[in-house]
Amino acid sequence: MKNLPQKISFILFFSFLIVMALITVFKPKLDFSENENRVLEKFPEFSAEKIFNRKFMNGLESYISDHFVGRTEWIRTKTGAELLSGKRESNGVFILKDRLAEKLPEPDMKEVDKSIAAINNFSLDNKNTHIYAMIVPTSTGIYSDELPLNVPQYDQKMFIDEVYDKLSDNIIQLDAYTPLYTNRQQYIYYRNDHHWTTLGAYYAYDSAVKDMGFTPIPLGKYDIEHANNEFKGTLYSKALYDKIPADTVDIYYNTSGPEITSYEVNDGKETTEYSSIYFREYIDKKDKYETFCGPNEPVATIKTNVGNNSKLLIIKDSYAHCYVPFLAQHYSEITMLDLRYINDSYKDIVNMDEYDDVLFLYNVSTFASDTNIKKLDF
Amino acid sequence: MVFSSLTFLYFYLPAVMIIYFICPNKFKNLFILISGLFFYAWGEPIYVLIMLLSTLIDYTAGRLIHHFDSDNKKRTLFLVVSVCMNIGLLAIFKYSSFFIQNINSIFGADIYNPNLPLPIGISFYTFQSMSYTIDLYRRNIKVQRNFINFAAYVTLFPQIVAGPIVRYEDVQNELDSRIINVNKVSEGIAYFVKGLSKKVLLANNIGLVWTQVKASDFSEISMATAWIGILAFTFQIYFDFSGYSDMAVGLGKMMGFNFPENFNYPYISKSISEFWRRWHITLGSWFKSYVYFPLGGSKKGLPRTLINLLIVWMLTGLWHGASWNFILWGLYFGILIIIEKLGFGKILEKLPAVLSTLYTFIMVVFGWVLFETESLTDCAMYFKAMLGGTGVYLDSNAKYLLLSNLIIFIICILGSTKIFKKLYEKAVFKFNLLMLYIQPLAELGMMALCTAFLVNATYNPFLYFRF
Repeated sequence: MKNLPQKISFILFFSFLIVMALITVFKPKLDFSENENRVLEKFPEFSAEKIFNRKFMNGLESYISDHFVGRTEWIRTKTGAELLSGKRESNGVFILKDRLAEKLPEPDMKEVDKSIAAINNFSLDNKNTHIYAMIVPTSTGIYSDELPLNVPQYDQKMFIDEVYDKLSDNIIQLDAYTPLYTNRQQYIYYRNDHHWTTLGAYYAYDSAVKDMGFTPIPLGKYDIEHANNEFKGTLYSKALYDKIPADTVDIYYNTSGPEITSYEVNDGKETTEYSSIYFREYIDKKDKYETFCGPNEPVATIKTNVGNNSKLLIIKDSYAHCYVPFLAQHYSEITMLDLRYINDSYKDIVNMDEYDDVLFLYNVSTFASDTNIKKLDF
Repeated sequence: MVFSSLTFLYFYLPAVMIIYFICPNKFKNLFILISGLFFYAWGEPIYVLIMLLSTLIDYTAGRLIHHFDSDNKKRTLFLVVSVCMNIGLLAIFKYSSFFIQNINSIFGADIYNPNLPLPIGISFYTFQSMSYTIDLYRRNIKVQRNFINFAAYVTLFPQIVAGPIVRYEDVQNELDSRIINVNKVSEGIAYFVKGLSKKVLLANNIGLVWTQVKASDFSEISMATAWIGILAFTFQIYFDFSGYSDMAVGLGKMMGFNFPENFNYPYISKSISEFWRRWHITLGSWFKSYVYFPLGGSKKGLPRTLINLLIVWMLTGLWHGASWNFILWGLYFGILIIIEKLGFGKILEKLPAVLSTLYTFIMVVFGWVLFETESLTDCAMYFKAMLGGTGVYLDSNAKYLLLSNLIIFIICILGSTKIFKKLYEKAVFKFNLLMLYIQPLAELGMMALCTAFLVNATYNPFLYFRF
């Protein structure tokens, strides 16, 4: 046959395009992407106005991209190609030997200083309360020696030291770095998610709670439930790299210890009361870390049957969610505030006179980048 | 619409091509016009009217220039109308805000700046239409009586957004009748896939290195980082622009047109003059035919030649964008070319090829700093860093940038030379038949890889829900 290779090229090229397009058009569409944790683009509305301001065209392009056939597989291919080309990171995630780790931008120290100043002011306003601060390293900091050669990532130990250095003397600094670093051979961080594991939180608790005046409950006292062992979290979603084993979500129970009597969550509009801080429904969902205390909400209060009538306020990010169960064995009430979702003064939400202790609990990544901590000055 | 988008690749392209192939020959130009307007209006739903207006005026001017063939005054008048209209469009939409800004700041005036958004591709299609009326005036070409055919020339979608600057002369015969066959289509596919891969796989990825360096504080970067950054941009702009031109040439071939090539391995040039004969060839030759030669070129004595060169290079710079750094960038090349004309060119010829190529490449790289930095202060700071002025020569950032992109850098360097082309030709020569069958598969593989990178471009996982 004449020109056979040219014909093959012609037919292959156009049929590939057409088949892909047809499948994209006719396949059933998802509304929500679990992997990306976001609502996917809807088919754009068609109107003259939307054409002239290009909203229709932009919307259609996003729609096609969001619903393109084999979207996840394409992204996997891209990650694979990048690894082949010698890169050890994809979509802002480092691909290390046996874990994924978040790539952190250089902290803007001017912003960090504003957060520190806000915390220092807070400590002046609340002189009768014990104020604690615990900045927790992320896995990127603890396993910095496993990062790609020469990668510019700041030293998290130095960052924590610098922050602690600038905090007022009346704020008691809790060291999470040392206990975590010492136990770095253990399963203290999820391999596919940016959070620490319950075990990691325990080691920090075991060391830090002494500085808060309590005796830690020994690890042996806990019954450990492996609630799920198929957890692939946020870092996995970003890199879509499959060769790191899935994570296990562990829940620790101290059956002989005090009990949690209620857990109230305020989402900014209404308050809902739960009987447990463990949200079992999230065990089967994508973001299994939310099993611990649910998603981040503005205000949440834990009540226990600890009889000492002591109250703790935690100003925090999501790292607090698997840490707070340990503290709940020492306080009769704990309130957690997430400043990222609060726009009023904290004084309108909590009565500071009621609290004996305040704990600032942030991971390095949030503390270095979050601009909401200065809302304490409101 | 851009070629490197899923919407174009998987929807517009197959739909338009198939209709085009089936369409009877006498309606093909009408379909080119419709599909071109759709393509352009996708990105510019309002400015498409400006393009139509300009097309109509140039078509009419062309008819009138032809009609008054023996009346020199009238012919000239209609040429002036056409040129003024095109230059006027450029002046209003591309340069007005720059001029108003400068007048306001120099004379302390307070002229209202409308800050009009730049219509896509206006620099390309105005230059193309002007080539028609000017060449017609010079009696180099025949008049186009059919409005559809003329409008098809202007709105031919492959070249509407980013060139090459196809002159009417280049395609006048093909506009009336052209050959479309499977050989040309498959040749076009090869060009297109090559261009797409250059853009999506090389330019976009090496561009990330430059994006990162560009975002840092130039007074703090190390010498190595500065070099890696600007080299990354050097390759980004080449593979981006030449990739886009390859795609246009490929699409043209699929539709039966032969567009002029726009790039010919510019980074292996042995002098700056040679570089500009290999870089954005259609722009250089446009300025030569329509500005440099009419000014007298090099035929009116040395002083006049130098002035002509400076005018052409200032305009070339200005064509790239309405800002001072582009003007300086143009003049920079003008001066380098004058130096070569004054005798340095002879020295370059005698130097070993390695040295003259290196000289040319380094001067071009310095030029890109001028091209890419936003202010003269930034530019000076960047030069300082490149010359080691920050006191830091090599830091871990530079090592990481280089090592984690080493393979892409190597591919870019080799891709800037003729090595791949020669290897390909050797392979075709040795395994002719095998290669003919491997090629379609390789093209499909490259398409798939490009798709993976394009899909990922909008992949944006939300780390925290609601946050």
